[in-house]
Amino acid sequence: MEIISGLPRHVACVMDGNGRWAAQRSLSRTAGHEAAEAAVIDVIEAARSAGITWLSLYAFSTENWRRPAGEVDILMRLVRRTIRKHAPALHARGVRCRFLGMADPRIPPSLAQDITDLMTLTSDNRQMTLTIAFDHGGRRDIVEAARSLIRAAVPAEQVTEATFARHLPYSDTPDVDLVIRTSGEQRISNFMLWQVAYAEWVFPQVLWPDFRATHLWECLDAYRRRQRRFGDVRQPTATTGEGLR
Amino acid sequence: MNQTTAEETVDVFGPNSMLRRLANEARWGLAVTRATVLEAAHPQIGAALIGNSTFVTHPWRRLRNTVVSTQRMLDPDRHVRSREAARLNRMHARISGTDPQGRRYDAMDAEARAWVVATLFESAVAMYRLGGESLDGPTMEQLYTEFRTLLALLEGNSDQIPATLQEFWPYYDDMIDHRLESTEAVRVILYRLFANVPAPPLLRSHPAVWAAGRAVAGPVAAAVTIASLPESFCRRVALPDLPGARALMHGAYLTTGFATRLLPNSWMHIGSFMSLLDSDHAGGPGPWEDVRRKAGQAAAMLRLLTPAPDEVNQATRSADQFFAEVLDQTGDGYLAWPDLAAMAREIATRLDLDEQAEERLYNAYAAWWRELQTNLDADGDGRVTRQEYAASAASLPSFGLVKVADVLFDVTDVDEDQTIDAQEYQMLFRTAFHRDLLTGRGDGYSRSAFVRQFLSFMSGQQHSVAYNSLLS
Repeated sequence: MEIISGLPRHVACVMDGNGRWAAQRSLSRTAGHEAAEAAVIDVIEAARSAGITWLSLYAFSTENWRRPAGEVDILMRLVRRTIRKHAPALHARGVRCRFLGMADPRIPPSLAQDITDLMTLTSDNRQMTLTIAFDHGGRRDIVEAARSLIRAAVPAEQVTEATFARHLPYSDTPDVDLVIRTSGEQRISNFMLWQVAYAEWVFPQVLWPDFRATHLWECLDAYRRRQRRFGDVRQPTATTGEGLR
Repeated sequence: MNQTTAEETVDVFGPNSMLRRLANEARWGLAVTRATVLEAAHPQIGAALIGNSTFVTHPWRRLRNTVVSTQRMLDPDRHVRSREAARLNRMHARISGTDPQGRRYDAMDAEARAWVVATLFESAVAMYRLGGESLDGPTMEQLYTEFRTLLALLEGNSDQIPATLQEFWPYYDDMIDHRLESTEAVRVILYRLFANVPAPPLLRSHPAVWAAGRAVAGPVAAAVTIASLPESFCRRVALPDLPGARALMHGAYLTTGFATRLLPNSWMHIGSFMSLLDSDHAGGPGPWEDVRRKAGQAAAMLRLLTPAPDEVNQATRSADQFFAEVLDQTGDGYLAWPDLAAMAREIATRLDLDEQAEERLYNAYAAWWRELQTNLDADGDGRVTRQEYAASAASLPSFGLVKVADVLFDVTDVDEDQTIDAQEYQMLFRTAFHRDLLTGRGDGYSRSAFVRQFLSFMSGQQHSVAYNSLLS
């Protein structure tokens, strides 16, 4: 597939609808999570071949720990299995994998080890950077950045948006241009709050386990047709917002 | 004595110090191993090693401590040198006892300490010789003077080894022919240590890989070391002369010799090797950094490709494992004073404690040991077996252990603000050859939290990555 102009540089997906997908089929919630794996792999590959260089997936939020212990446990195991299954392929395709969040001690050590290994293994890849928001909370990241600023003893007058952003975790990540939230839900849910400031949002009705490459293309197309102005009335453009950063 | 003082005033550890250059070369490791075997054959040193040293059970930690200590002893700053000498002396003053034949040993014995320096000097000379570059007269004289100064720094004088190089060689030959014995320590080093070296922490998650490599490398290392020893010594201690071992040994020394001369300086620098083994040791990106990163990636790949082991709960470890990895520091299967002394020694070294703090720490450990002895040593043989420990450890009030935790808190809390902050935490748990990054708590530890964590680790109830890196 040729690389299209007007593509977003950084696409993020809020993977919503696993539970509903399972309920529609009278399956357990965990079956929905298992079905999500295929969608994840499909989207990573489709985004990479479309020429998107930054992809973020919202896998597990700090609030998700409130789910039943059994479901959380199975989710953790599922993530571990998925990582181990797809690590060589991701590495071979030049995808750099990073995990955003990962602060909770409840993450099993074996999973933490695999995640560290995956990050180590793919750390030199540059084709695409895949950020997986795992045990992530947008507000927590902002609080962390504030703490980091205070620890670095930065004088108040020197704190600007740019300096603040440098203290966020993975500060080299560019702003998100397009957020795709599946299953028709229209909420932010504490996701990368700082980075989505100027993002375009699309809310396809499809549930995440059914989300495939074609759906991604539709979303990319919708993005290209939108006029991004970043609050300016004079220059309607369809750029990626790089000029503003 | 006068002559010694004169030696100290001449700055032999100046910028042209041969010894410092030597100690920073990675091949120095070959020579030190060889010297260690010769030292272990000295009855006093051999007995002290067997009775007190942790080198068989924790060789990597021991290696790190030795490298750091050597660098301090050769530091350009005179104060660093004398401080380290004082620390080593305090440490050795605590090591004395009786060997199984009922002979006394004492790590402060002047003759034995002179022998250590003598073997290091002779092994350095042998290293150059076997590496294809023999030292000329004046250079060898200079090296000898530097070694004598090193002894003087430790001992206060260097009267125990001959004043001149001409007198040294007869002394050395005489020691080998008449003083050395076939000690247990020699056999332990050559046959047990090399064959059973535990994996360095970088490879700890791949026991199979390590065991396979060691099956080949262990005997080779033993053969190389034996072949490099003086022939009269091998005869006396009855060491085997394996076919091909000499060629292998020459090959090893020649290769490292060439590598030292031909490769860029920093490649064969000991620090580079340390950083290869221990990701936290390296200050900045060294020449091996790329190699290490690639190796890390390969290891990560390997771990991800090997089938996932069953979910083992790492939080609980068996009492046996805890006993072997943490409590029994000397690896003799019993818990006795040398084990606790080794823990105190490790912590004192890690924190570089001054005399007073060190004394408090040892006293706390000694008090704990007395308590263990009274409460646990059921058969009264002066040591605690695994069964004795397991039988009653859980029910102990363990006042002694609380005291240890308390003192540990005090000595770690350098700025005395009653909180162990991130930096102090790092000092205590700075990992030795351990690849896991420690996630210290940003807001610090209060005394009660610290004591609680220490107690639950030491009673084997809670697994802690941090304490594991310190004591196992």
